[in-house]
Amino acid sequence: MPRHWLKLSRAALAIAVLALATAAFVDFRGSVPTRLGHALASVQFVPAALALATGASATLAAAAILVATLAIGRIYCSVLCPLGLLQDAVARLAGWLRRKPLLLRFARPATWVRQLFLWSTVAGIAAGWSGLTLALLDPYSIFGRIGSMLFRPLVTVVNNWLVGPANAAGIDALYRVPPQWAAVGALALPAALALLIAILAASRGRLYCNSICPVGTLLGLLSARSAWRLEIDRALCRKCGDCLRVCKAQCIDLRTATIDHSRCVACYNCIGACDELGIHHRFKWRPEGGHRKPETGCQQPAAPATPATVVKNLASQTTPPPDASRRAFITGTAAALTAAAGASVAAAVGLADKSPPTLPVASGPVCPPGSGGVARFLDRCTACQLCVSACPTHVLQPAFLHYGWSGVMKPRLDFNLSFCNFECHRCAEVCPDGAILPMDLAEKKRTRLGLAHIDYEKCVVKANGTDCAACSEHCPTQAVSTEPYGNNLRLPRMHDELCIGCGACEYACPVRPTRAITVKADSVHSKAALKIEAPAAAPTPAPGEEFPF
Amino acid sequence: MNNRRDFLKTGLALGATASLLDLGGLFAADLTTTVPSGAAASPAPEAPPTGPRPVLVAVKDGDRIAMLDKALASLGGIGAFVKPGQTVLIKPNIGWDASPERGANTHPSLVGRLVELCLGAGAKSVSIFDNTCDQWQLTYANSGIEKAARDAGARIVNGKDESLYRETAIPKGLKLKHARVHDLVLDSDVFINVPVLKHHGGAQMSAAMKNLMGCVWDRGIYHNTDLQQTIADFLTLRKPDLNIIDAYHPMVRNGPRGKSVEDCVEMRALLASTDPVLIDAAAAKMLGYTADKVTHVKIGAEMKLGSMDLATADVRRFKLT
Repeated sequence: MPRHWLKLSRAALAIAVLALATAAFVDFRGSVPTRLGHALASVQFVPAALALATGASATLAAAAILVATLAIGRIYCSVLCPLGLLQDAVARLAGWLRRKPLLLRFARPATWVRQLFLWSTVAGIAAGWSGLTLALLDPYSIFGRIGSMLFRPLVTVVNNWLVGPANAAGIDALYRVPPQWAAVGALALPAALALLIAILAASRGRLYCNSICPVGTLLGLLSARSAWRLEIDRALCRKCGDCLRVCKAQCIDLRTATIDHSRCVACYNCIGACDELGIHHRFKWRPEGGHRKPETGCQQPAAPATPATVVKNLASQTTPPPDASRRAFITGTAAALTAAAGASVAAAVGLADKSPPTLPVASGPVCPPGSGGVARFLDRCTACQLCVSACPTHVLQPAFLHYGWSGVMKPRLDFNLSFCNFECHRCAEVCPDGAILPMDLAEKKRTRLGLAHIDYEKCVVKANGTDCAACSEHCPTQAVSTEPYGNNLRLPRMHDELCIGCGACEYACPVRPTRAITVKADSVHSKAALKIEAPAAAPTPAPGEEFPF
Repeated sequence: MNNRRDFLKTGLALGATASLLDLGGLFAADLTTTVPSGAAASPAPEAPPTGPRPVLVAVKDGDRIAMLDKALASLGGIGAFVKPGQTVLIKPNIGWDASPERGANTHPSLVGRLVELCLGAGAKSVSIFDNTCDQWQLTYANSGIEKAARDAGARIVNGKDESLYRETAIPKGLKLKHARVHDLVLDSDVFINVPVLKHHGGAQMSAAMKNLMGCVWDRGIYHNTDLQQTIADFLTLRKPDLNIIDAYHPMVRNGPRGKSVEDCVEMRALLASTDPVLIDAAAAKMLGYTADKVTHVKIGAEMKLGSMDLATADVRRFKLT
């Protein structure tokens, strides 16, 4: 099969992006630099669109993707979107296993399904549910969850199998890591979606991208009228079907020798597959008035083919222009695009911040430092799990119903498992959409997520009359210190103003089943006091010249 | 309360019986456990590190490496402890994600030098681990110990790998009857304990005895079942062959984690002894405590796991300039 430089360079880029994105989410040893994950995530469409409002990161990326799509089609879907690339990888793997090439014939566009999902997304954002809607449908976040919640623990398990043989062979670089499985409830959706997408990819190529994915539909709207479009040269086309065999979007209609550009994901497989070199880009951009002419002109008298090809024209059997349904799709989605942009900006700019928190926050979960508080966090976070993968202590875990339904799969701090490392703010370093905002480490160390509370009836020191103070030992701000108690014992004591709710005390407390010190979440984060102590005095008797013994 | 007192009484009785039964020496006595230990072979015939009187070496006013070299020379050199072909475990305190100057962890230079000396003495391997409090990759890296030890040729072992800890009976423990103990502690020929001296909000002081808590998997059991007694109980399983306390820049408040460098004072000292109780009794004095203020040291002496009587010990003081 002759290859084309466009296809080869597209594939090379795609492989690099998929490999790096997978590494960022699977990073079970914490060795991938946060900058890499952040960079890859920031250029994804939905995070970048969200960041447009929060000013968090690569805010121009969303605009750049729109412009690029308008210029040369859906290259985002074939170069940058990790979920799209994952589907390509699954399809290729399935092809190898099947050993027989899969022939996907031209299929009618699932226009109403695409409209349904796009409009639902728009409606969701407009209704102030952007956090939930985008979390469910953003393709990058879906990939993130598959990578972080499925691939990461699986890769960890494989790593752990290899440690024994590797160490026996003298390779000390491998070590065991406890696999991080999310709670079943949080895991269910990504697992089901991964299965669905894998089956679709193996049997129908990019059908998911061209039916369910709202980003695919949105970009399809633009790519349908992109400046440079792939065209089949009718003078050269022998209708051999080589292009059909390699098309993953089922968008080439050989009977009319046309390509449905709203579904073409710009993989460029067809260019390389055509022995006649009959598929190439053609500049088709025309101002609105001259739009119809070149279309018909290019397609010559399209009439002869029509009897057999009405299939494509679902909505317009009576209207002759072959792309009438596409035009309807375009006008429909043009409105959707405008609405989506407006709604997302409006929602993100702060409408949601002003509305009162809708959650029972009294005993709610603790959300990450830099998120500001539960309501703001749930509104911005798309549950991509990049912070969950990057968190060195694994205190960040995808929630099930801890935040309520709108917070399913979004990270919370689980102090049963771990605690927030005082010296670390990796979650904010990776977060692409401004749900967790970066701040100075000094600021982070004062950011209060909640307040610890000691239950003295359960406390080991009081209950058993023995020393413990595991809470004070772990407390980075000494909000829990100890004071003399009983017969040469030390009893923990809270200094509320210093507590940042990091959970180190709760994690370390040995009392079960309910711990003697627990952190109650604050619905809105605040600043703890800062206690700066003078240099410590030398112990008495002072060491002086000699030893005190 | 009564329970604890009873336990102590029983412990005293048991300890006394044990030492009467085995007069071979205070230190050899408790090493006759199931643990394969290089301790039996370690005292060099020409320069025994422990005579009839327990030895404590205290060095002041040098840099850490110079003080370590001086202390080891006084104890008969590293060769008195490490024989060619032996496997060595060095157990520093690597508990916290803090830089060396914070004094929360053993100083990396001390660990690096020890690794170098052990390998120089012909050790087959030198391993380093700690069951850390903060996330282990961060503490290993930010304490500087990982790099110093690896550069010197040590094996860095993940202290958070649960599969490396095995359930072990501690028959002589009063409250700690069993624990999951790291393979390296149980299997290494030579066990060198290298803590840093710190104030400790719960145990009062963290030095040689407290540092051994990082050898067991389930730290919560210690806290839940009498921290001070369980710290002492662990010594009935395996005593380190050598203890070296980094007291160059000890943390005197807000321990064991500390908040800033302001929690440390400069003492420029180092202690070394084969007796973990004796060395801790001296360390307690350096922090300004009487030894019996630190309960686990007192219990250790009462259980005859060592001596806290500095007056009768062979204390060798050195002042470097």
